[in-house]
This record gives sequence, C-alpha cells and structure tokens, in this order.
Amino acid sequence: MIADTLVQTYKVSFDDNNQEFALSGSLRPERGAEMEACIRLLETSIASIRGTFYINVKRLVRLNNVAFHALAGALLKAADERPDVKISIITSSVIGWSTKKFGTLTAKNPRIVVEEYDSEFYPGQSFLEEGGFVPVLRTQTKLTWKHERSILPRHGLTPGVTMADICCGIGDFAVLVAKEFAPSRIVALDHSKSSLAYARQVASEFDIGGIEYIYGDAAEMLLEDGQFDFVSCRHALQIFNKPEMIVSELVRICKPGGRVYVSNEKISQCLGEPRGPSIQWTYEQLSKLFADFDMDLEFGPKSYQALQKAGLEDIRIESFMVTNRDGDAQAFADMVMAWEEMFAGGMCEKRGDDAAFVEKFRRGFEDHIAAALHPGGYAGWPVWVASGRKPL
Amino acid sequence: MDLGAASTGAGEYAELLEFDMDMDGFASNWAYCDRVSTYFARMISHNRSDSLLYSNLFSSALNELLETVYRLHAPSGRFVCSVARKAASERIVLTVPVDARTAEFYRGAVRVLNEGDVASRYHNALFTDGPLQPNIGLLELAVDYAARFSIEPADGNAIRLIADLKLEESDA
Ligand SMILES: C[S@@+](CC[C@H](N)C(=O)[O-])C[C@H]1O[C@@H](n2cnc3c(N)ncnc32)[C@H](O)[C@@H]1O
Repeated sequence: MIADTLVQTYKVSFDDNNQEFALSGSLRPERGAEMEACIRLLETSIASIRGTFYINVKRLVRLNNVAFHALAGALLKAADERPDVKISIITSSVIGWSTKKFGTLTAKNPRIVVEEYDSEFYPGQSFLEEGGFVPVLRTQTKLTWKHERSILPRHGLTPGVTMADICCGIGDFAVLVAKEFAPSRIVALDHSKSSLAYARQVASEFDIGGIEYIYGDAAEMLLEDGQFDFVSCRHALQIFNKPEMIVSELVRICKPGGRVYVSNEKISQCLGEPRGPSIQWTYEQLSKLFADFDMDLEFGPKSYQALQKAGLEDIRIESFMVTNRDGDAQAFADMVMAWEEMFAGGMCEKRGDDAAFVEKFRRGFEDHIAAALHPGGYAGWPVWVASGRKPL
Repeated sequence: MDLGAASTGAGEYAELLEFDMDMDGFASNWAYCDRVSTYFARMISHNRSDSLLYSNLFSSALNELLETVYRLHAPSGRFVCSVARKAASERIVLTVPVDARTAEFYRGAVRVLNEGDVASRYHNALFTDGPLQPNIGLLELAVDYAARFSIEPADGNAIRLIADLKLEESDA
C-alpha cells in the first residue's frame, strides 16, 4: 500500500556539498528529548555552512507538534545567532500540510523562507500543464492505442496485474487499459491538478471505478517500493531534462520481476507526402524548439540505453508509426492542428521567433495536415516503446 | 483492540470505522497513536479523490487528537474512536474516560477553541520554549484543518469529543 514503510521511521542527513539538511519519513516522537540527535546534527550543520542553509523536507510525510516544536526552536535560535545565514526550507506541495506549517517560521524570522518545490527540472511544465493541451493528449492517445493495445502484452501487460501509470496526463490510457486488460489495481499519477480533475471526471462518466488518481511528483513519489507488476510512463521522459531521475523512481516502485514500460517520440522523424521537404523542415525545427526549452523530443531511440543504465534486464524496444491510414485520417489531422497551435503559437512566441520563421514553421504543419487528408497522401508520426524487467 | 465497521449513532453522518480499546492498553504504547491514525487514514481515504493526499492530512489530524488523549485521560475505562462521513466532511468522535482534572481540561480547551483568535494562540504555543501546551493538537486542528469542536458527556465517567473537519479542497 501507499507510503506504508515511511510510516515506521525517519531519516536525517546532512550533505555539506549542497549545504542541505534533509529530513524524510515520519517523525512523531513522544517527547522533545527524542529529537536530540536530530537537533544536534542540525546545529552542527548550520555552524559549518556559509550563505544559504537548505532544509529539504520534500519527503517528510509526517511530523507531529512535538517534533515541529523542537525543530522550530532550534531553527529560530540558529537564525538569531547567525544573521549572516539564510535558511531555506524546501517543501513539496504533494505532502499537503508542510508548506503551511513551516511557513509559520517566516513570520517569526524573515530570514527563514519556505519554498514549495515544483519540479524545476521540468522547464516546459507551463506549456504542457495549461488546459489547451487536453484535446491534444486525447487525440494522441486515441491514435497510439490502436497500436499499443497489441504491443503491450509483449511488454508484460497481462490481465490481473497491478499497475501504475506515471505522468498519466488526463488518464485516457489508464481507462483504456482498465477496459482491455482488467488489472487488479491501477494507480495513475500526475503533477497537474487540472489534468487529474479531468481524468476523474472521464472515469466517472464512463463508470470506470477503481483507478486511483494521485497528485504527485514523478521524481519524488510517495509510493512505496516494489509494489507494481507493470509501471508505465508515456510521452513523458522526453519532457524532463533529467529523465534518469524519473526512470529510477519508476524502477523503484516496480516489483522485482515486474516491468517498466516507456514510450517516447523522435519528433524530427515525422513525415508525409506530398510536400515531404516542407514537413521535414518543420519537424526538425520543432525538435530544436523543444531543445531550447530543455526538452528532448528525440528521446525515443535513447530509451533503450536509459532503461539499461537503470539496471533493467531483458530490455525490449520497438517502434510503430501512427499514420493517417490507420483508419481515422481526420483524427490525425486534428492532432497536427493542435500541435501547430501549441508550438507555432505559444512556444514560438515565448522564444521570440520572428513572423517569417513562424510562417514557414506553420506551413510544414499545414502540409502535414494536407498530406493526412489528401486522397493519395500519407502522413506519419513515429513512436518508440521500450520496456525492461527489474532484476529479482 | 477491536477494529470494526459500525453504522449507528452519528446522526446524518454515516459511520465508517470504529475502534475501541481499554484506556490503559492504549496508553501503554505511544506508537499506537501513529498506528491507529495511519490505519484509519488508509481505510477511509481510498474513495476520496486524492487518496494519498487525503490520507496524509487525515493521519496528521487524527494523530494529534490521539496524542492528546494519550496524555490526558482517566486511568481506566473504554476508549472509543470513531470516524463518520457526510459528503466532504469527516467527523471524528473520541469517547475518553476522564476524571475531574482531565474533564476540565477538555471542557476548557473546547471553550477556548470556540472563543476565536485561535490562530494567534496556536502560533504562540508553537513558538514558546519549554514543554508544549497540552491543547496544542486541538489548536492545530482548529487552525490548519478548520476543525469545529464540540464536547458532550458520555456514559460512565467519560466525555465525547467531536471534531468535524473537511480536508478536501475542491479541484482546481
Ligand atoms: C506529454 S504529457 C503525457 C501524458 C500522458 N502520459 C499521455 O501519454 O497522454 C506529460 C505529462 O507529464 C506530467 N508531468 C510533468 N511534470 C511532472 C512531474 N514532475 N510529476 C508527474 N507528472 C508530471 C504533465 O502534467 C503531463 O500530464
């Protein structure tokens, strides 16, 4: 179950390289005196640093008032004694209570600040989290599902497994999997509250019970180790600038013997005819546009090595091409239209591109749409899926 | 320890879960506060829209109440903890055996909670040196979890402490 092992205990450590004091787990002592070792480490740590002292409580799940009182006393005392030091407490919005609780310290001493950590390793968040992305995700999942439903069993998805879909977006994939594969449990996690709200609504409209939608950070999940047979993460490693952090979390929550499954794109390889060169130019530019925002939309073929480096075995990789000939040319065209809006609209503006560039950039998308709807045209979007088994 | 689902006595609230235990048993091990609150939190949170977040908050709130009871009660009698639900609200009912001193503590504490200005009382209590005030957990629930408290006499030498709280914000 969720976070059960964390309940038992807590960990405290100091990393002098980063001047970071970290507390995690559950801290519910009966008496303040039980905090002594922790407070002593806090005091010696602060004494050894200059500038900013960081306190990481992103994974501190539980803290009673006895422990808070002891910590608060020590921090206020340290802040008084060291006017040269700033104390920065890093919380996570996922925990629920911590930003508010630690925030009370700032009122006592403004040199103690609280920062709610919000995935700074994910620079494109604002583009993708805004509501406009919902229809794109819906159409993409509809199109990829035609292929993935027959691919998934080769990567270990079988009826009755326990699974987690990390960075689930609006949750369509979880719903499709629930219908087709009837897993015994599905947890779907994302860091976008609006996407999760949408996902819950879809699941209730389609009367799909039993999917647990959880707000969380894929890089710091509060899910317990080793509890899922199948852990998927689709179209998401490619948007993080530190995908290895996410992969190690996926592996951590996977059961030994279970499989981690990822899908990613190599966007520069989108293609179409007629007007191949214009289409190709635009997607090459799209790849660069994402790179300028620290996202690697060329990640697809790199996923083999990413899984290998994470220590997985029996790695399988394959690719499929979503095309206008899969049976729904209009849906393909709709998806490209939505891409054009998001990328040639919002993202180019943010980068400060000039009108001439944007016009040429848009033309490739329009040619791709025309190819999709052309009676003799062909339009494609390639996707790579890879999975690996966690060693026993 | 007796853990079971029951379904009576909470008015329009529907009871979800109840546990009862001899007070001296409960008060023999501090870890029971953590275990009981975590168990309750897990059992009642699965059908809230974000189970993990809900269970975290509920466990924090209930734990503070249980820690208060652990410290302040009459030496013997039955301790009952039950949780009932009405839509987005949760009602925690604690039946606590009391003597004259502890009865007065609970009555006084609830009176203070209903007097207003709880936030400054809570923050003063948090940042005062020396031992923590025994009502700190109740203050925290009132301030951080917007809990509303009431108290009533219960059979035998006991009081019923009732906390109503709403932990789920509506989705953005
Ligand atoms: C490109 S979408 C893919 C969504 C979905 N898997 C799909 O295929 O439709 C990437 C998702 O990652 C989510 N995300 C971004 N940062 C995250 C984080 N730190 N933790 C969890 N999810 C995150 C975004 O909210 C978004 O829903």
